[in-house]
Amino acid sequence: MKKYDVVIIGAGSIGTPLSYYLTKKGVETAVIEKEASVGRGQNRSAIGGIRATHSDPAKIWVCQRTIDIVRRMKEEHGIDVDWLEGGYLYPIYTEQHETKLKKLLKIQKQYGLNIDWITPDAIRELAPGINREGLRGGTYSSGDGSASPLKMADAYYMLALNAGVDFYFKEEVLSLRRNGSRIEEVVTHKNRYQAGLIVDASGAHARKIEKMIGLNIPVYPDSHEAGITEPVKPFLKPMIVDIRPEKGSANYYFYQNKEGQVVFCITLNPKIPGLDTDSSSIFLPMVIKRMVNLYPRLRNLRVRRTWRGLYPMTPDGFPIVSFPKEIDNLLLTVGMCGQGFMIGPGLGEMLAEIIVDKTDQYNEILDQLTLYRSFRGDEILK
Amino acid sequence: MKRIEKHPILPAEDREKVAFTYNGVVMYGYEGEPVSSALIANGIKTFAVHERGDAPQGIYCANGQCGHCTLIIDGFPLKSCVTPLKPGIDVRVMRHRPELPADDRPLRHYEKKEISCDVLVVGGGPSGLTAAIELAKLDFSVLLIDDKENLGGKLLLQTHKFFGSIADCYAGTRGVDIAVLLEKELRSYENATILTDTSVAAIYKDRRAGLFIRNKNYAIVDFEGMIVSAGAREKSLIFPGNQLPGVYGAGAFQTLVNRDLIKSSDRVFIVGSGNVGLIAAYHALQAGIDAVGICEILDSASGYKVHVDKIKRMGTPIYLGHTIVSAEGDSKVERVTIARIDKNFQPLLETAKTFEVDTLLIAVGLSPVDEFYDMAKKFGFTVMKAGDANEIAEASSAMFGGKIAGLKMAKKMGKEVRIDNSFSEKAKILKSRPGQIFPSQEIVLTKNFRPIIFCNEEIPCNPCTSVCPVDSIRLNPKLGNIMDIPIFENECTGCQKCVLICPGLAITLARKIDDQWAEVLIPHEFIPDFEVGEKIPLMSQEGDFLEMGETLKIQYNKKHKTRLIRVRASLKNATKIAGIQVQRPSGAHPLPEPNFDYAPDHSTVCQCEMVPVKEIVDYIKKHHVSDVNQLKKIRVGMGACGGKTCSILLPRVFGMAGVNWSEVAHGTKRPLSVEVPMYAIINEKQGE
Repeated sequence: MKKYDVVIIGAGSIGTPLSYYLTKKGVETAVIEKEASVGRGQNRSAIGGIRATHSDPAKIWVCQRTIDIVRRMKEEHGIDVDWLEGGYLYPIYTEQHETKLKKLLKIQKQYGLNIDWITPDAIRELAPGINREGLRGGTYSSGDGSASPLKMADAYYMLALNAGVDFYFKEEVLSLRRNGSRIEEVVTHKNRYQAGLIVDASGAHARKIEKMIGLNIPVYPDSHEAGITEPVKPFLKPMIVDIRPEKGSANYYFYQNKEGQVVFCITLNPKIPGLDTDSSSIFLPMVIKRMVNLYPRLRNLRVRRTWRGLYPMTPDGFPIVSFPKEIDNLLLTVGMCGQGFMIGPGLGEMLAEIIVDKTDQYNEILDQLTLYRSFRGDEILK
Repeated sequence: MKRIEKHPILPAEDREKVAFTYNGVVMYGYEGEPVSSALIANGIKTFAVHERGDAPQGIYCANGQCGHCTLIIDGFPLKSCVTPLKPGIDVRVMRHRPELPADDRPLRHYEKKEISCDVLVVGGGPSGLTAAIELAKLDFSVLLIDDKENLGGKLLLQTHKFFGSIADCYAGTRGVDIAVLLEKELRSYENATILTDTSVAAIYKDRRAGLFIRNKNYAIVDFEGMIVSAGAREKSLIFPGNQLPGVYGAGAFQTLVNRDLIKSSDRVFIVGSGNVGLIAAYHALQAGIDAVGICEILDSASGYKVHVDKIKRMGTPIYLGHTIVSAEGDSKVERVTIARIDKNFQPLLETAKTFEVDTLLIAVGLSPVDEFYDMAKKFGFTVMKAGDANEIAEASSAMFGGKIAGLKMAKKMGKEVRIDNSFSEKAKILKSRPGQIFPSQEIVLTKNFRPIIFCNEEIPCNPCTSVCPVDSIRLNPKLGNIMDIPIFENECTGCQKCVLICPGLAITLARKIDDQWAEVLIPHEFIPDFEVGEKIPLMSQEGDFLEMGETLKIQYNKKHKTRLIRVRASLKNATKIAGIQVQRPSGAHPLPEPNFDYAPDHSTVCQCEMVPVKEIVDYIKKHHVSDVNQLKKIRVGMGACGGKTCSILLPRVFGMAGVNWSEVAHGTKRPLSVEVPMYAIINEKQGE
């Protein structure tokens, strides 16, 4: 039997940073992970974008905090995570989208976001060679950016290890032994754990974990496919998000990372639900056609690798960060809806304050992300 | 010009050359040959300059797999080993990352190409061709793809005659000629489709494969069954200087020399004494390149004895119990150093020998290209593997194994096929490792010619027994199969057929002239640098100098592309003479004093991203690495080749860091297996 103050299930985008921030505050923390190393769930599938320009206060606040952290990572910890402050660009080609985004702009500005409508000429400066036919302008948020998911995962792993977190890899949680309103034990095939607080950061596997104690958590993963090209000299500054839907797909987005490689991802429509992450033949022709159409000079780039990752979705597209009423010592941090990579650091720092310092200054955020919301709303900007 | 102008086996024709420019300088090459080969023929050996440490990169795989030979061709970064030379092209060295050309013409054309077939055969080498032929015979629609311009795979690089049996696998015929026969047979079936210059980019879960075709198209193939006959890739090796231009695989060397007829080197040294290394030395000599030596870490050579003997007779020493210490030079290989090993396989530096060479060939074994098979298996498809992709063995066994795989696939797909029970037995024998070695018998010569057989190690080979018109050569029935040793009994008509067909050049004819002199007929696969009347160095089976013998006659047999040299030698040596020395001993000498700087930390593991071994070892220790995927952070396996070169080295690297490989989680393999340009993926028409 191993005893900790906090046991986190999942060494991914959420669990690893949280373990670090908790331990830094003197909390004895363990992380249990079924894979062999950190970030091997969906973190590895993230393409690296980090933006604060969402449409709701909770994610805006958390991601702003992430950006602050990542921006300071080198200075504060001497770790280079390939942060590039290239901004996010939404080029707009239809009147309907122009209206929608301009409306959203007002809300985003209210939340203090650094985002503006820019002209086609300004877009061309940021993304030389972009298709200008029908280009009406777009929104650009210069403070957003990108970092390497590989380097971020490793950075938090090293920070956590040095802070004293115990990681247990290749251990799959077999059961959560519940006694009334408490989880008494976390049982893996190698060990048993007791903790004052259990954090479920199991990402796409949240339903499976929570079923063990009889909770029904609305997290349903679906597939997105991604790819990366060979490296070339820098030519593209921002992350480009094309929100026009097409047959077979919703939006897609791409950017050039610090290595010079273009990384891209597409949202399939209809969705492919489930936990399968094997690539299908539909993906490449679909996304590449759209990308070359939007940005013709990409045609000469060679695609190097592709992969499929999961978006652990909730019905309304917002994460669940919640202390369930039924259990006294459980915190759910699940259903990140494909944004765990950008939510993780900010959320980890915030939750450490909530758990350790018992602060109530984030109650508004917790209220928005509670398990007990209606889940009927829909995110304006996904 | 560094071209092979005459070759004893291959036709070296002088075609019209076309002009192109390299960094602004006018050069000439053959239209259609790979740009890389044209450059090497012009003496250019450095292609890209890697961002990391400004490391120069030379030809490496010659196979479109890595990115070492990337050059800026007419403004576009292209792998020059798979880019055909066109008149007037502008070729420039690629320094660091390339610039993405500002080709902003709007997308005009988009097409999704789809193909379907019963069986997709991946790889048109010896096993893929025979598998496809069997399936085509049985009326299946077969799609055979190969990533080269010509079918045949490694057969095309094999200028030597084949081992095995004539009935099952064309023994005694040269690989290059077998390829032509097999291709012709496959093309005679209407239900067989062949796509050359085509690679599998991915195997997809929805039972489809993505094909990258002729550098410009991408097609999705729907198939019922798949045969993976994609061959093998060469293993790489960790040693200081292994990233220098001039260090590459024996297979890449054979591609340059035997396919493109480029004199890519003046002097080569070879690491590894398996059949691949031995044959590479032989091919070097045939191409007029010095094969300065072969080093082998084990205490015996690992190839067929007939090959080992032949190489030693030709004048290339084999250094047993030696390892490579370093390759050094200014931006390219200029010298290599080897040394004896201690009982822990570490070099004893006081025994070092340095050789001045410009090329170091790595021939330390092959590993199957079976990732498509694994992927298909995981997805639950009907799939088989054949040839080297299944198990590394001689091409003779690959041909027979391919035939069996084809039949088995037909059966899996519901065809009533009888697979002869003897097939699996034969297949097993054909891929056997060499067996016992027997001492040679004393022979007394008469006035009549008789064969002297220098073949005393059990290997799967018997053409000499098949061609003798009077059945005087038979196998000594110890094992009862073609592994047995050939023996001569009874009469000899002097027809020379056994001499001409023997793949090991291990048969001579000899007769007594008088009590002092004898006449010996020696097979020779070189263009003689001597004339009738001249005295030439005659060598024993295992490469000892016997005497200078007088050349009586030089015959050329066109069918076998083999010369027969008739010499007069002393009667006492006549039954020992097995060959003629080709390379003079002075050409193979090391420098009088070793000249090297031993810096083991300067070995490179990931050649694409230039990650040195020390960085990885330190990282494994510091970051508690227990999963190969963690190494991606320092770019290991993130390059163009996708870990094909470095993954094989990782067990050793983890060992160096004190981590037991069996406890390390393996790296995830993801598509694509080759880089595919976006224009190809959408089949956008080029140049419009």
